[in-house]
Amino acid sequence: MPRLNLTKRGRGEFAIEDQIVRITSRLVTPFIQVYGIYVIVNGHLSPGGGFSGGAIFGASLVLVALSFNLEVGVKQISHQTSSILESGGALGFVLTGLAAIFLGGSYLANRSAGFPMGQAGELFSAGAILIITVFVGIKVASTIVTLFYNIIEGEK
Amino acid sequence: MVYILILFIIVITLILRFIIGVEAKTLLTFYLLGLIIFLFSFTVAEMPPFGSPDSPAFNEVPRRYLESGVAETGAVNIISSVIIDYRAFDTLGEATVLFVAIAAVIATLKSH
Repeated sequence: MPRLNLTKRGRGEFAIEDQIVRITSRLVTPFIQVYGIYVIVNGHLSPGGGFSGGAIFGASLVLVALSFNLEVGVKQISHQTSSILESGGALGFVLTGLAAIFLGGSYLANRSAGFPMGQAGELFSAGAILIITVFVGIKVASTIVTLFYNIIEGEK
Repeated sequence: MVYILILFIIVITLILRFIIGVEAKTLLTFYLLGLIIFLFSFTVAEMPPFGSPDSPAFNEVPRRYLESGVAETGAVNIISSVIIDYRAFDTLGEATVLFVAIAAVIATLKSH
C-alpha cells in the first residue's frame, strides 16, 4: 500500500500528495510540451494547428499544477506572464492581418500580400499561416492556464 | 399493417395510463420524442452518403480548395489553409470569443 502524505489545505480540505503521480507527471510533462509545440508548428503540414496544439501545451501546465500544488504551477508561469501572452497572442493575430494591408494586400491576406511562401511541404512555408498558427497556439495555451488558475483560486 | 401498429400504440398507451398509472404529461413527452426521432432518422436516411461526389455540399467551392489550395496558400494541410487563409476572419472571430470569455471569467471571479 503506497504511503500518502496528506497536507492540510484551507477549510479542512486535504490534498493527496502521491509520489507516483508527481514523478510520472514530472517525467511526462516535457514530452507533452514538445509534442504541443510540434503540433502548433506543423499546423500547415499535418493534422493539428494552433487550437489543438495550444490545448496540449496548456494541459501540460495544468497537469503540473494538479499533481503538485498551485504554488508550483504559478512558479512555472506567473499570472502576469500568462495574461501578457494571452493578450499578445490575440494582438499578434490582428497585427499580422494589419501587416498584410501595409504589405499591399487585403486584411489577413497571405500570398497576395507577399508573405514569403517558401517550398510547399517544408516547415518554414505558407507565409502568414505559420505566423498566425503560432500566435493562436500561444493564445489558446495561456487561455487554458489562466482559466484554470482563476477558477481554482476563485474557490478559496 | 399501419392500422395494427396504431391499434397497438393505443392499447399500450391505455395500459400505461390507466393500469400502470403513468402521468399523461410523461406519456405525451415520450411520444413527442419518438416522433422527433422518427422524423430525424428519415432525414438522415435521405442524406447522400459520406464522401459522395454528387453530394450538394461538393460544389465549386471545395473543388477550388482541393485543386488550387496548395498553390494559393502554400500549406499542404488543406484544413489549415481553409481556416487560416481562406476563412481567416472567421478564425479571428473565434480567437475573439476566447478572449472575451476569459475576460468575462476574470472579471467575474476577481470582483468578489
